[in-house]
Amino acid sequence: MRTTLIAVVAAAGLVLAAVPVRAHHAFAAEFDQNKPIKVQGSVTKWELTNPHSWIYIDVKGESGNTVTWMIEGASPNNLYRLGLTKESLPAGSVITVEGYQAKDGSTRAVGRNIVFANGKKFFLGLTEAEGAPKEGTAPQ
Amino acid sequence: MRTRLTDSVIPGTAAAIVVLLAAIVSAQAPSYRAPRTGDGKPNLNGIWQALNTADWDLQGHAASKGPVPSLGAVFAVPPGLSVVEGGEIPYLPAAAAKKKQNQANWTTLDPEAKCYLPGVPRATYLPYPFQIVQSPQTILMSYEYAGAVRVVNMGAPTKAPADSWMGWSNGRWEGDTLVVDVTSQLDSTWFDRAGSFHSDALHVVERYTPRSADTLTYEATIEDPKVFSRPWKISMPLYRRVEKDAKLLEYKCVEFAEELLYGSLRKKSSN
Amino acid sequence: MGRRFLASTAALAAVVLIALLSQAPAAGQAPSSAAKATTAGKAWTPPRTPDGKPELQGIWSDNTLTPFERPKNLGAKEFYTDQEVVELAKRVREGRPGEEIEGAQLGAANPQAVRYDLELYGFDRTKLRYTSNRTSLIVGPEGVVPPMLPQARERNAARAAKNKGHEFDSHEQRPLSERCLLMGQEAIPMTPGANEGNLLQIVQGPGYVTLLHEIDHNTRVIPTDGRPHLPQNIRLWQGDSVGHWEGNTLVVDTTNFTNLTAFRGSSENLHLVERFTRAADDTMIYQFTVEDPATWAKPWTAEVPWTKTKGPVYEYACHEGNTMISTILRGARVAEEEAAKKGK
Repeated sequence: MRTTLIAVVAAAGLVLAAVPVRAHHAFAAEFDQNKPIKVQGSVTKWELTNPHSWIYIDVKGESGNTVTWMIEGASPNNLYRLGLTKESLPAGSVITVEGYQAKDGSTRAVGRNIVFANGKKFFLGLTEAEGAPKEGTAPQ
Repeated sequence: MRTRLTDSVIPGTAAAIVVLLAAIVSAQAPSYRAPRTGDGKPNLNGIWQALNTADWDLQGHAASKGPVPSLGAVFAVPPGLSVVEGGEIPYLPAAAAKKKQNQANWTTLDPEAKCYLPGVPRATYLPYPFQIVQSPQTILMSYEYAGAVRVVNMGAPTKAPADSWMGWSNGRWEGDTLVVDVTSQLDSTWFDRAGSFHSDALHVVERYTPRSADTLTYEATIEDPKVFSRPWKISMPLYRRVEKDAKLLEYKCVEFAEELLYGSLRKKSSN
Repeated sequence: MGRRFLASTAALAAVVLIALLSQAPAAGQAPSSAAKATTAGKAWTPPRTPDGKPELQGIWSDNTLTPFERPKNLGAKEFYTDQEVVELAKRVREGRPGEEIEGAQLGAANPQAVRYDLELYGFDRTKLRYTSNRTSLIVGPEGVVPPMLPQARERNAARAAKNKGHEFDSHEQRPLSERCLLMGQEAIPMTPGANEGNLLQIVQGPGYVTLLHEIDHNTRVIPTDGRPHLPQNIRLWQGDSVGHWEGNTLVVDTTNFTNLTAFRGSSENLHLVERFTRAADDTMIYQFTVEDPATWAKPWTAEVPWTKTKGPVYEYACHEGNTMISTILRGARVAEEEAAKKGK
């Protein structure tokens, strides 16, 4: 499976295998693959900054205290092209986040998979129509 | 037949009319008419720079000691007259207190020290040149400082998709003046090194008016009801960089700000 | 390590295609005949700017399925036929029978290699397309980057060796892209691939052509008066670019790079010549030749078709929002403390 994807993506010209890839940072250096997290919380803030957007969620801890997690999302430029704006995210939305915690141990994580309580994919779920509304087309 | 009317009143009135006409004509005619681009617009293309101490302090100020004693007179604060019409920025009382705090701690708080994007209007009067590249639909302004840039939409005004450091600029012509309406700036920028600041409600309207072959008059009206008691205005000349092959170089200051930002995270050497 | 690296690169690269997909024109077509124009053979006449120069303005994307280097099994084959391109594109969009290509599955197979679930961001593989019939962006019978000279290999190895064991000591040892000093997609020459979005906005004024990259808001204001380069002692991350017009082609010559710019391991002697030719209303052919006698035995050339796309270009303030470098450095300090506690 993995091999096949690499082959396809290689054909897609995306994997510059011989290139010293200038990935803009090392995932492994920032987040810890040995610290997977799965948290559910309600959204309090959405920062549309580059290179990554950040979703702040309040997560209720076991002892009843509330912990604020910062969840990393893609560049807002990508999100704008999906049709999202700063107004798209309703505060209080409950989301479930699967990801990896920051290596420095802070309550910060990359959101590898982010869904609403009803299972809808987070960023796509924020758009008006099924899938991103394309320029000039009315929602179905 | 000569009467008082013909001898004094008529000539006097005629003279008065001539003077009045001359005054009307000179008030209507711009003192300088810039050459035109191929599409008939005033030509603002070029490399421009402010020559004042606005970036140190928009308000009038005497010279004062710099923040780094070891740099002595190399890096002390130069004196300058106010570029603010009326002299002072009209802060609301709470904001005035914050400004004082900002100013007292400017070396750690000023986003310029961190090489952050400067926003508008500060980008215009930073002590580095910027370049205007003018096309009919779009006017691009490229700033040497931090490679800051903004694109002014000269077509029908559009709405900002989000807030940004350099804001969202819609422009139009009013006679020989380029008017740029700037909205949606983040509240993270300052106006100068003296702690002048604003909120996310900032609205700036700039005016670029050619005043001679090599100078522009730059005006900016600043409005922010969360910080100021009324709109206020700055005004200054911008000077063309006329040397042969003048060019913006790189002032990619990120690497100069890194020690300030990340120095405390450096590995402590144990040997 | 190689496989995982490859996979993570693949995933990262695939993820960052997303920005491009919403701008890509309708899928399912063979590239337009204009896109196949690889040299100045086509005689499409561009409109003129108010000062009489060829109009290159607009917002452009270099999104393409064409790989940078030619797949080995193709040998000297420089072009696919139209039919081959259609079939290849179909295979990418639909997958082989029984093949399920989803980011989520890559994630399940290799969770540590994936930053995001691709579907989260609307990744739609049906939007992927070829923009020319070329088998690789690098032109010519070989279609690959020429071998690196021994002196270049040694130079780069020495640099890597010096950094070994110190990669997390401070910000100075981190990659330029992580520091938001020079991100992959803002470097020149401009190549498609691994980074978020690759939009370019061109604005022309009298005597200048401006290239604004969305990534890190990188802006090149290029004089077209054929003036000389800056003196040798002034070195710039993006080098010093001077341009001139040859018929309808903008030719940009760049030298004066720093020794840290290192395009694919190049030295400060890098000499780049870029050529911009508008082949059709919605197509620009971008061709670049790279020369560095301290790195490669001979110059090499690549050709990338760009497609006009819908804007706007958004602000990309990388440094201002850069939390990753502090997280990475802090993470390294935490790891060291933990290791020290265990050791003592």
